[in-house]
Amino acid sequence: MNQPMLWGVGTSDYGLQPERRVESLAWTAVAEAVRDAGITPGQIDAIVVGSVFGPPGVATRVQRGLGLPGVPMWTVENACASGTSAYHEAVEAVRLGRFGCVLVLGVDQMSTLFSGAIVPEATDPEGAASLPLPGLYALQAQRYVQEFGVTPEQLAAVAVKNKRNGLDNPRAQLRKKAPTVEEVLASRMIADPLTFLQCCPTSDGAGALIVGPERGNPDDLRIEASAMVSGALWDHRTDDVWGYASVVRAAEQAYAQAGRTPGEIDVLEVHDAFTIGEILTLEALGLAPRGKGAELAPSGHTARDGAQPVNPSGGLLSRGHPLGGTGTAQIAEIAWQLRGRAEARQVARHRVGLVETMGGGAAGMDGNACVVTILSVL
Amino acid sequence: MSTELGVGRPTKRRPGAAVGGLPVADPRPLLDGDAVLGVRCTACRYPVAQDGVPWCPACYGPVEPARFATTGAAWSSTVVAIPVGERRPPFGLAYLDLDDGPRVLVHLAEPAVLPIGTRLRITGTDLGDLVAATIDDEVTP
Repeated sequence: MNQPMLWGVGTSDYGLQPERRVESLAWTAVAEAVRDAGITPGQIDAIVVGSVFGPPGVATRVQRGLGLPGVPMWTVENACASGTSAYHEAVEAVRLGRFGCVLVLGVDQMSTLFSGAIVPEATDPEGAASLPLPGLYALQAQRYVQEFGVTPEQLAAVAVKNKRNGLDNPRAQLRKKAPTVEEVLASRMIADPLTFLQCCPTSDGAGALIVGPERGNPDDLRIEASAMVSGALWDHRTDDVWGYASVVRAAEQAYAQAGRTPGEIDVLEVHDAFTIGEILTLEALGLAPRGKGAELAPSGHTARDGAQPVNPSGGLLSRGHPLGGTGTAQIAEIAWQLRGRAEARQVARHRVGLVETMGGGAAGMDGNACVVTILSVL
Repeated sequence: MSTELGVGRPTKRRPGAAVGGLPVADPRPLLDGDAVLGVRCTACRYPVAQDGVPWCPACYGPVEPARFATTGAAWSSTVVAIPVGERRPPFGLAYLDLDDGPRVLVHLAEPAVLPIGTRLRITGTDLGDLVAATIDDEVTP
């Protein structure tokens, strides 16, 4: 068994870029990752691409510009967790010795597909009933808010924190101004209680990663754990809100694999597609007991200068969310943080980082897939 | 169709006939008079508001056709303030835990955020969606 390592990372800018070709977003990310890893393209011996909306064949069109020889290559679709699912497969392949150097690419271009929120999938029982993704998260949020007495201000605090962090992320989609709690709550309602500023923007972007075995490079990051789980039946006989159990499953595996506890994590990038998402994810990751996750942002615990900074990049709420391109950007941010090269976004303690991505939307399931990975500096 | 990039173009996702795509087989739960149709596990009694599933998704036991009550308790609810498909805002949605039945997504006859446990009854369908209205002020724990 090999110890998988993260050799290099790269991303495009994130934002509405309908004038760019999907491949060109990918090439920007791949070129940066290859240079960051200090390899030549010819060293890549497998490619795993994560993308939701493709288009079909996107992996091959990207490969055309890279000039790689015909290497094993495949495309993964796991909703919002597509990019991290692709990464997980690369990590496992390296661990098992199947490949020596794997290129991971997450990419999606949303602006040429949807002019607003994602159109729900008509083949899904709830998509066909006009349940939009913010509506699904709103139902989750209403249950949580009523069950635990969470206030609108506590939800809004997540948006304020992440949008403030995003001001220092030159690759983020939204970086004009950090709203106040009042401004977050006063922005137009999308699905009660989620207001516009509590919803991530759809975006165009790509992130690339190079994964390989240990090679004695002090810049490489140790991949202590990577866990990927599918969704399972969202059993209405349990007390779990939608999505929670899938994150717990992945987190428990990842902590066991790394031999770590939640308190040992220095910095996190988690799936804050909507404010409630960050709160419930942090509970599922064990940073707070059930019902107490909403206190983490207002208390400053998850602030960039807090005890456990969460989404120092600005998260999806600032970066934007090009589904397949999200997970790889989260991992890139943690890599920059752990190496101490996150510039204005740099957090103080940065030896161990965690990334979580949860994709969902299929009716009756507690998610489509979730990935949790833990990385550390050597 | 607009020539502006990203506006009014066909998408990879199947949007369904409601928003200009090709029709797809309707995946929504069916209302038949005074019952929501589905299947129930003959071993553990787990209810599912879908037909065609090969076995019980909770225990793998055999399933048989079932008729579920149209009454139940709201698990959660929201008011959506953006247009979705043929729906124009505001419209109300709830997850409704049917009495001794499955959790189904319903549209609310009157858009509102309801207290957890609010008693609802499915009164009919609208554009193929289940529609529910509050029964009274009774709230179950």
